[in-house]
Amino acid sequence: MKNKIKSIPLSIKISGIFIMANIFSLVVIVVLLLGINSLSRRMEESYQDNLHLNEAIEALDNLQRAMTEYLNSKSTDSLSDYYSREQAFSGTVKELNALITDRTPDRMERNIKYMSEDYLERVAETIEAKRGRNIEKYRSSYEETNRQYEYIKAYMRSLNEERFAENSVRYTTLARNFRRFEYLAMSVMVVVLLGSASIITGLTGTIIYPLRELARTADEVSNANFDVEIPESTGNDEVGRLNSAFRKMLISIRDYIDRLRTSMENEQIMQKRELMMETHLKDAQLKYLQAQINPHFLFNTLNAGAQLAMMEGADRTYEYVQTVADFFRYNVQKLDAPVTIEEEVNLVDTYISILNVRFSGDIHYDRQVDKRLLNVRMPGMILQPIVENAVNHGIREMGDQGHIELQVYRDEDRVFISVRDNGKGMSPEDIEKVVGCRWESDAKKSDSNGIAMDNVISRLKLYAGREDVVEIRSAGPDQGTEVIINFSLDKEAEREDGE
Amino acid sequence: MKKKTISGKKLFLYLILTAIFSVAVLSVAVIYFRIYTAEVSDDSYGRTFSHYYAMITDDYKSSFWQSVYRGASEEALEDGVFVELFGSNLTYNYSPEELMEMAISARVDGILVAGNGREEMTELIGRASARGIPVVTMYSDNEDSARCSFVGVNGYNIGSEYGRQVIRAREELLRLAEATGNDAWTGRNKRVTSIAVLFDDNGSVYDQNVILSGIMDAMSTEMKNSEFDIRTVTVDSTNPFSVEESIHSVFMEDQVPDIFVCLSELDTTVVYQAVVDFNMVGKIKILGYYDSDKILDAISRNVVFSTLTVNTDELGRFGVKALVEYSEYGNTSQYVTADVIIIDRSNVANYMKKVEEDEE
Repeated sequence: MKNKIKSIPLSIKISGIFIMANIFSLVVIVVLLLGINSLSRRMEESYQDNLHLNEAIEALDNLQRAMTEYLNSKSTDSLSDYYSREQAFSGTVKELNALITDRTPDRMERNIKYMSEDYLERVAETIEAKRGRNIEKYRSSYEETNRQYEYIKAYMRSLNEERFAENSVRYTTLARNFRRFEYLAMSVMVVVLLGSASIITGLTGTIIYPLRELARTADEVSNANFDVEIPESTGNDEVGRLNSAFRKMLISIRDYIDRLRTSMENEQIMQKRELMMETHLKDAQLKYLQAQINPHFLFNTLNAGAQLAMMEGADRTYEYVQTVADFFRYNVQKLDAPVTIEEEVNLVDTYISILNVRFSGDIHYDRQVDKRLLNVRMPGMILQPIVENAVNHGIREMGDQGHIELQVYRDEDRVFISVRDNGKGMSPEDIEKVVGCRWESDAKKSDSNGIAMDNVISRLKLYAGREDVVEIRSAGPDQGTEVIINFSLDKEAEREDGE
Repeated sequence: MKKKTISGKKLFLYLILTAIFSVAVLSVAVIYFRIYTAEVSDDSYGRTFSHYYAMITDDYKSSFWQSVYRGASEEALEDGVFVELFGSNLTYNYSPEELMEMAISARVDGILVAGNGREEMTELIGRASARGIPVVTMYSDNEDSARCSFVGVNGYNIGSEYGRQVIRAREELLRLAEATGNDAWTGRNKRVTSIAVLFDDNGSVYDQNVILSGIMDAMSTEMKNSEFDIRTVTVDSTNPFSVEESIHSVFMEDQVPDIFVCLSELDTTVVYQAVVDFNMVGKIKILGYYDSDKILDAISRNVVFSTLTVNTDELGRFGVKALVEYSEYGNTSQYVTADVIIIDRSNVANYMKKVEEDEE
């Protein structure tokens, strides 16, 4: 039953309430109207018997007059008039009651009835006597009827007055009741109005309650509070359905937000970790690189050697050892801070001259440097390893055919440093490996100063903060290789400004 | 879950409330309607009776006849008969004879009439009997009429009672004179007690004479004829003023009687008023007639010595009983006597209390 009520559509429920209230008001009004109707009917009837009595008096007067008229004229017209009057009056008399009760008007009515019957007999006798020309009899009879007529009339008048007084009392009572009934009707209406208003308010409130709860919840949700308690569904009506739909929606929104939040958190954690790893790597790499290069001892030794050579007068040896010493000094000094292109280029020059001593001048080295860019900053120990790489892997086996070209130039806001050889060249796979820092170099085996290409490229990348800082070009085997470094001039300028 | 049950309960509560409210409002309205309808139609039907007697008097308003009527009415109600004080509902005042005519014409089942000895009345009583309506005369009689019975008081008895009261009144007067040293009543020139009996010139001379002889007989057993002087004063009762005139003239005489014997209610009140007016309270003893409130009050204030009243209740009862008996058996006793009651200072308080109770 409860569930049945709850499944009724809201519209029917609400209109049902209103229809009920209206029907109820209608019933009350009809009852009140019936009451008023019956009251007014009674009021109308109040003086009914007075009217009847007046009619009876009139009939009596008419009869008396008709009789007198006949006695006077003895015409047939008056006789027929008498008969009709007599008929009328006896009809009226027959309708009277002959009850003996303790109510005065009833007894008066009874007396009038019998007196009238007596009177009618006497009248008939009188008329008979007149017709029979019994003068003496009709005279005395007439006198008696006259007296009786007066008595009856007096009786009727008295009864009329009695009735009038009685009816007036009744009428007053009725009128009072009528007024009281008016008040009653009015107060009943007011009570009905108040009652139905409060019942409608209550019922509608009860029916609307879930909707109100829902609205409140929706308000809270619109204020971004997704953790509100969702009211349970209260039935199968519109509100119930709306409620459950809203509930489902809220649950899925909450779910979605939870998922989104989790994934964002994960991403953040991952990013953080990546950053940490990079820092650690850089740190490790730098430490590693520093560990690789510990040339103080060598440098000091070479200095001692150079001094010895100068004392012995071997000028060329002295110069050579001095060059090597310079080379290593640079290595000692310049690894941890940015240097100028000039310094780097000088180092390459030093290196080439060392090699040319070693390999008795096999390497042809050219350089084209834009002198305006010489003060541009870049990481140290970059160009030398590239050149070393070009010598070791490009032109070593070419004897005196090897050729190295160093170019520093500018294109718009970018600085380009190119190292080109005419050696073996590189396969695209190898280029990719080297650029992607995946080349497994074997520093121990080589006779280099220990700084491999991947180190160089990694440092450049870290320094520039982008991946395409190094480009390696090779047309194919024996076509030579070109390594081009580029970085933005702006950046350099900024750095300079910063320092 | 909790909320759900609460709202469901609420809904039910409201529905039940609605039902109770509607039923209550409707039933209050209906009940109220019924009550007021009953109130209005309450007087529509009265108790019905099988027989209807008319009681005809010369003055239905007098408390004497009202009292008789009360007795008659009570008796009649016991027998399922309604007695009406005929003519009391009419706007005009009709003479007893006219009322007789009406009652005959209205075919009542019986008539109680205050007889007055007039020929016309006797004739009307005859006409009523001829029509089968039994007539009982009350208080005074039309002896040679066709009445079936007479209910009244014995005039001689009344006279004897008055006589005894005269003796008592005289004794009191003597005691008073001795106490005040008024030698007019004592000593050698012992005064003759003067007694006035007021006769109604309209009343039956025979009846009044019977009363007078009753008084005289009673007095002569106690007193010598030389000790009192009794006379009758005829009061003109053609209208209420003439009674007063007649009595005043008695008070204007040189020798105002010591004791007044009044044979009617009106005489009593007029004499009583005159005694007060002439400042003769205590000097004149009034023997009144009837127990109207005014007379009873005068007794308790010692202005009227005593009053004599017919047992009106009995008078009415006996009249109705005679009629009922006659209509049942076709015969009844021709002469019924009602008791006479003496009221003086000793019993007036009790009597007044009893009358009050009766009237309630």
